[in-house]
Amino acid sequence: MSETAKPKTGTKSAAKGGGAARNAKQAAKPVAEETGPLRNQLFPIGVDYYPIDDEKASFSDWYGRDPEADFAAIAEHRISLVRLFVSWKVLEPQVGQYDADAEDRLGDLLAAAKSHDLKAIVTFFADDRLAEMNELPWAKKRDPRTDDYLIQREISLVQRLVNRFRAEGAVWAWELGNEAFFAGFESEDALQKWATALRDAIREVDSARTIILACDPETLVRESGVDARVAIDGFEYGVSHVTAPYRAYAAEGPLTYGPATYLDSFLLRAALRDIPVLADGVGIHSLEVSVAEEAAYVRTALYSALMNRASGVTLRRWRDLETEKREPYFCDPYEVLVGLNDVTGEPKPVLAEVKKFARVAARLDLRVYAPQPERAAVLVPAERYEPLPSLTGLYAPRSCLQAYTAAKEAHVPVTLAREGDELGSFMTLFIPSAARLSAPMWASLASFVQSGGSVVLSYGGGDADPALREIFGVDFLGDHGVRPVLSCRIAQPGLLGDLSAFDVRLDLPHYALVGGGMSTVVATDATGSPLLTLNQYGQGKAIFLAAPLERAIAQSDPWAAPDAVRTLLRTVYGSVARAAGAGPVIDCDEPNAEIALFQGEAGDVVFVLNHAAESVTATLTAERVVASVVDIRGGAAAEVGARAFGVPLGANAAVALRLAYG
Amino acid sequence: MAGRSTALLTAEELARQGAVSAAVEACYEALALGDREPRIHGLLAHLMLEGDFYDQAISEATKAIEIDPDFSAAYLALGLAYDRRGGMWDQSVLVWHELSEVAPDLVTAHVQLGEAYAAATFEDEAVESWKRALELDPKEARATYNLAIASLKREGMALALPLFRQAGELDPSQDELFFSLLGVGAVPDHPIDPAKVKPTRTARLGAAGLALKADDLFAAADLVRMVLDEDPDDPEALALSAYAYLKQEAANESMACAMRSLSLDPELATALYCLGVVYARRTGLNRHAARVFIALAKRAGTQALVHVLLAESLLGLQRFEAASKAYRLGVRLDPACVRARFGLAASHLTEGRHAEAQWEIRRAAYYDTKRQGLFWRLYDEYVGAGDDE
Repeated sequence: MSETAKPKTGTKSAAKGGGAARNAKQAAKPVAEETGPLRNQLFPIGVDYYPIDDEKASFSDWYGRDPEADFAAIAEHRISLVRLFVSWKVLEPQVGQYDADAEDRLGDLLAAAKSHDLKAIVTFFADDRLAEMNELPWAKKRDPRTDDYLIQREISLVQRLVNRFRAEGAVWAWELGNEAFFAGFESEDALQKWATALRDAIREVDSARTIILACDPETLVRESGVDARVAIDGFEYGVSHVTAPYRAYAAEGPLTYGPATYLDSFLLRAALRDIPVLADGVGIHSLEVSVAEEAAYVRTALYSALMNRASGVTLRRWRDLETEKREPYFCDPYEVLVGLNDVTGEPKPVLAEVKKFARVAARLDLRVYAPQPERAAVLVPAERYEPLPSLTGLYAPRSCLQAYTAAKEAHVPVTLAREGDELGSFMTLFIPSAARLSAPMWASLASFVQSGGSVVLSYGGGDADPALREIFGVDFLGDHGVRPVLSCRIAQPGLLGDLSAFDVRLDLPHYALVGGGMSTVVATDATGSPLLTLNQYGQGKAIFLAAPLERAIAQSDPWAAPDAVRTLLRTVYGSVARAAGAGPVIDCDEPNAEIALFQGEAGDVVFVLNHAAESVTATLTAERVVASVVDIRGGAAAEVGARAFGVPLGANAAVALRLAYG
Repeated sequence: MAGRSTALLTAEELARQGAVSAAVEACYEALALGDREPRIHGLLAHLMLEGDFYDQAISEATKAIEIDPDFSAAYLALGLAYDRRGGMWDQSVLVWHELSEVAPDLVTAHVQLGEAYAAATFEDEAVESWKRALELDPKEARATYNLAIASLKREGMALALPLFRQAGELDPSQDELFFSLLGVGAVPDHPIDPAKVKPTRTARLGAAGLALKADDLFAAADLVRMVLDEDPDDPEALALSAYAYLKQEAANESMACAMRSLSLDPELATALYCLGVVYARRTGLNRHAARVFIALAKRAGTQALVHVLLAESLLGLQRFEAASKAYRLGVRLDPACVRARFGLAASHLTEGRHAEAQWEIRRAAYYDTKRQGLFWRLYDEYVGAGDDE
């Protein structure tokens, strides 16, 4: 699998008006090895450096090995961050008695990192199943998350370590815990109380350095029901983190195509709000996949992070865990199994991918190039946070992932917003298969559309709010219920893109029977019942889908969803977003190619990522004539002289091109 | 106690109707009255499985088994949840072992146990499990598909292909394709009496199709004969004859009828189907079969199984890439097509894409076990046994 498609020198005959694009005809010169920056300071790449790499090792073997060779290799692969894990059990073997040797060991680790120009994220309270880092014999099974006495002991430990190493330049950030540790919290209040206490304790000693809570708000709420958003807001950095259970829940299937390739950026977008976010824990969760698939997946995840506003990325593990010789391996909830090197320390193909990616990322100067603003959002309904017995909290994230994927396939620059968020910065909203929205949300939607925004809402079952009639101009007549087939007949060709009629097998959980009312019926089912309507409301447009298509795709088989349905969804999304001014600056004809544009004053940089496990050629069409393109890493510029140009992409490949306009 | 029973019955009724959300709410109402009733947890496990919420299903099924270790429906839900979730093969093996002891005649338990073993790379144990399943039910298609996959891994495609074909023959979907091409509806409750069929060509052919679907070959033969007596060159009647011969393993006669039919109407889908199937069964005629199925795919391109039949012929020609494309199309058209899933798994294996092959096998199991609806059988047996006590 090739990583990049080389730019090609083109002919000068321009393809006009966004018409048929052409592939460049002359072969490109080989990309020269550049002499630019080795790392991107504004987009650090890190790796978790676990204290134990052997299942048979004891907790007391905590960082017992010499890290020199590993750190040298890490630095050589242009990785700039290492995550180190504090073992409370080792550092405080008796109450109030700290192990000076262990503290020195941590100091040695930091010194070794510094000697290789690496920075460290020091994680205080992490579970990893093997090193028993928080299993204190003297704690008498009290919960370190909620027990006041243990929290006081945690504060003492943290302050002691921060105080000792606060002057150590190798420390990039203090991190309070890891995903597995936070999964043990049972309430928002407990998490908030614990996080505030620990953060304030660090701030007393070190007022300057970054502090990270390190829990992904979406995966945590899925895992434990605890909504960590308020707690995370009190920190300088957030993280997104695809956990094994979340992958099994949202996108269980092949890793190199389909929804799994969008999951990392979906969670990243879900975590992005007001603070920068690290795409954390990038990597696979089990040894079931081949090394080639692992490399392809990690490549996709790395580029997804950079293309979707991550502020850095950390990889799951430096070295594979040496397990006892037993089969079968199981999906490890603590995610400590699979690394960038095998158990003997031999690099796996994925490590070469990381280095290649680092080389590309290093050439993107984020002080000069800014990502194109997202004017479209998938709205996550508040019902996502409803606990059982309501199933909406389980359906909603899957529907949102499918909506997000459809928007990406339509090349719409898209992010995630939540019910209750300020919508002023958006021009288009996609509300996928929501069963219920709150009254303030309906009011907010009315105001949003009236003032010029566009919204696509798909019916999610249940009774309709009266505001549906007002905003979408349809009369709700009831839920027809389950349908095994989706039929589409076009009533108004061209109104919402180039739609086609079809009949496909797809289990629809609901189908809203609506009267056209004031709206224009764009498409109907086979019996003439409206499927897709468009209503002009104030200055904006409101589009209603009578069936929860996003949920139907998610709940049926996202890897084998009928093409016709996916095409319908992305055509509607793309058409609405473009008409509302939320479309892409650089358009593309290949649904599997994700586009991210970074805009600069002298030119732009475009990233193209192939989400398919097969080669494709994407035709990119800019709003202006592109004079030339050049691989971001350097090499010969290819003349284009047209608005459109072709980019060949290998399976799961990515390319970064610098565009100069004519 | 009475309140709990009412709530449980409501939940059961809603669950049987497929009203998942309402049934879950009813289960929680029942749980609020007491959480030591295994049936509630078992029902919840089943409902969560229906929604593909595997972690919840695992949790509820585990609770049900903890309360009553003989609750076979809960084992089924637990094993299926492990398998569909993936990556938990060791637990899965234990559960299917347990279920095969609690319900030794449950064929699916042995098939699933074999798949869990295979996923954990215990190939010999897997083959033993599938053989055990076939001892219990020689017509178990998925066990045969799995044996074909095992054969492919060990001996290559040449030896595996006959097993794939054998599994295909066991798969009822192939007959369904013929009747779909024929355009016949549901089989009537009563046997068809040829003497009472309206004496028109259309009525006789329609009735013959229904008789064939009902496996009433004598009635079908009488009706077809009546049509052919009036017009020996009726292509549709000849195609029905070809199918009837095919069902009786009379390949030469079937081929003759199908070819005669096609000489009269070269695009008749039912005749193309019969001829293609006859060719596919004959060693060395894969090229012919592929050509016929390509023609059939042009006539009936929306039928998933047509592409599967074509793909199997292409596999026989060792044209793996083309076969893979045809299988993919089959899966796109019908994600629940077990035969297409296993075929795609086979073509992935020939390309060394083991993880994707494993995924297709898991999806085949997903759809096959959904179709079987075993949960309610085991659940009702459990409830019945409880009532007896």
